[in-house]
Amino acid sequence: MTRGLFVVEPGVLSTVQDLGRPGWGAWGVPASGALDEEALRLANRLVGNPPGAAALEITLSGPVFKAVGDVALAVVGGAFGPAPGEVIRVEDGGTLALAAGPGAVRAVVAVAGGVDVPRVLGSRSTCVSARFGGFQGRRLQKGDVVLVGEPVGAPLPGRANVPRPPAGDVTLRAMPGPQEHLFDPEARAAFWAAAWRVLPESNRMGIRLRGESLGFVETSALPSEGTAPGAVQITAEGHPIVLLAERPTTGGYPKIATVASADLGLLARTAPGRIVRFERIPVDEARRLLAEFEASDRAGSAR
Amino acid sequence: MRQAGERAWLLEWAGDESAANAKARAAAAAVRAAAAPGFLDAVPSARTCLVLGGPGFDASPLAALEADPPAAPPGPAPRAHEIRFTPDGADLDEIASRCGLTPEGFLRAFTGLTYTVGFLGFTPGFAYLYGLPLAFHLPRRPSPRAAVPAGSVALAGPYVGIYPGATPGGWNLVGTTARRLFDLRGDPPFLFSPGDTVRFTA
Repeated sequence: MTRGLFVVEPGVLSTVQDLGRPGWGAWGVPASGALDEEALRLANRLVGNPPGAAALEITLSGPVFKAVGDVALAVVGGAFGPAPGEVIRVEDGGTLALAAGPGAVRAVVAVAGGVDVPRVLGSRSTCVSARFGGFQGRRLQKGDVVLVGEPVGAPLPGRANVPRPPAGDVTLRAMPGPQEHLFDPEARAAFWAAAWRVLPESNRMGIRLRGESLGFVETSALPSEGTAPGAVQITAEGHPIVLLAERPTTGGYPKIATVASADLGLLARTAPGRIVRFERIPVDEARRLLAEFEASDRAGSAR
Repeated sequence: MRQAGERAWLLEWAGDESAANAKARAAAAAVRAAAAPGFLDAVPSARTCLVLGGPGFDASPLAALEADPPAAPPGPAPRAHEIRFTPDGADLDEIASRCGLTPEGFLRAFTGLTYTVGFLGFTPGFAYLYGLPLAFHLPRRPSPRAAVPAGSVALAGPYVGIYPGATPGGWNLVGTTARRLFDLRGDPPFLFSPGDTVRFTA
């Protein structure tokens, strides 16, 4: 029996994402994958899927779906739709509108059985910039039918969600970056002390921030080098960009810091206009946070 | 070796860039071939090799690899490519005159050289080729074009590149080729891999 979601309204940017396709960086292929990996894993767990099953990542204005066959899904991350963090069952022909609640910027919609699109270079993720993978290499459009696989596990009862950004400033823990030494002491101090506003121009490649410029940064002599998730590049105009899942594989801007992986989901949930600040932590502490984060995720999967 | 994240390590080499790049390629190939538990990716670029690991990845062998990258990297043998192109680039006359040559003279020199794929980046399949003589190292254009023609063969700094698709671009345009650099129907889907050699014919 065919099971899936008919797209009545696509929303601003709704794409198929899983854990991405790391391993092709030497050929210039962005890893892609859900910007909020924590939300992807939890949403999948709620509907009884393996944690890395393909799901939909929705952005800013949520989509409207009509169920083809009986469908169970869960929305985790930003508060979109009638019941964030709970399994929602929609009967064949029923409609589900995932309207964005206040401050909701991104969420993952996992569907029991997982989104069924072909794997490309090992992943079902959409690479929006290079137009391949996911659903025909693009964001969802009105009239698309997104097929889902056969449900394998039992959905979880109750409600569970990832932490929402706190009221007030959002603190991102970050470790010193590989080019911190290229910045003079004043610029360094300013970076860690400043309030940075999230710009609406942010996308799946990176979150753009704006504040008091760190000053002109001479970048012409800096050779291209591989980019890590969470790397904080400083543009020639002195403003940060935090690189995310669909970042280009190489870049030539100096990287003053790297946001701890454990806090990247939180950043993906932080709406344009909000203020973020960076809290400097040593690499060892970031590593400990990541190990804790992964252990709690494994514990969650085992439940 | 520098830390670029909890499980991200940057191996780096000083000295001549294309020599440093050869070491970065060799190190990346070695890490990839080792396929250690938790290995995610190894990305060579101009002077560095970025290694990304997941849970359980052991980074302790990386320092020795940086100190002494293998002379003969493991993995598939490099391939030799011949790329036919049309010298219809919007900047060809300007490139030639900045190199002190006529367009014909520039093309003769350009097509007489053998280039090496140093690394890929920017977009899937975009390769940075080494092998230009110093006299042909030109700065990027002062303001990038909003879209360069797909398949543009272009120069900037020490590199020759080919734009896989119509993207924004600030490099100096020599011409265009019909060859596909990234084609998911192909096996492999990428025309170039790091270490391949390339000759251009007009």
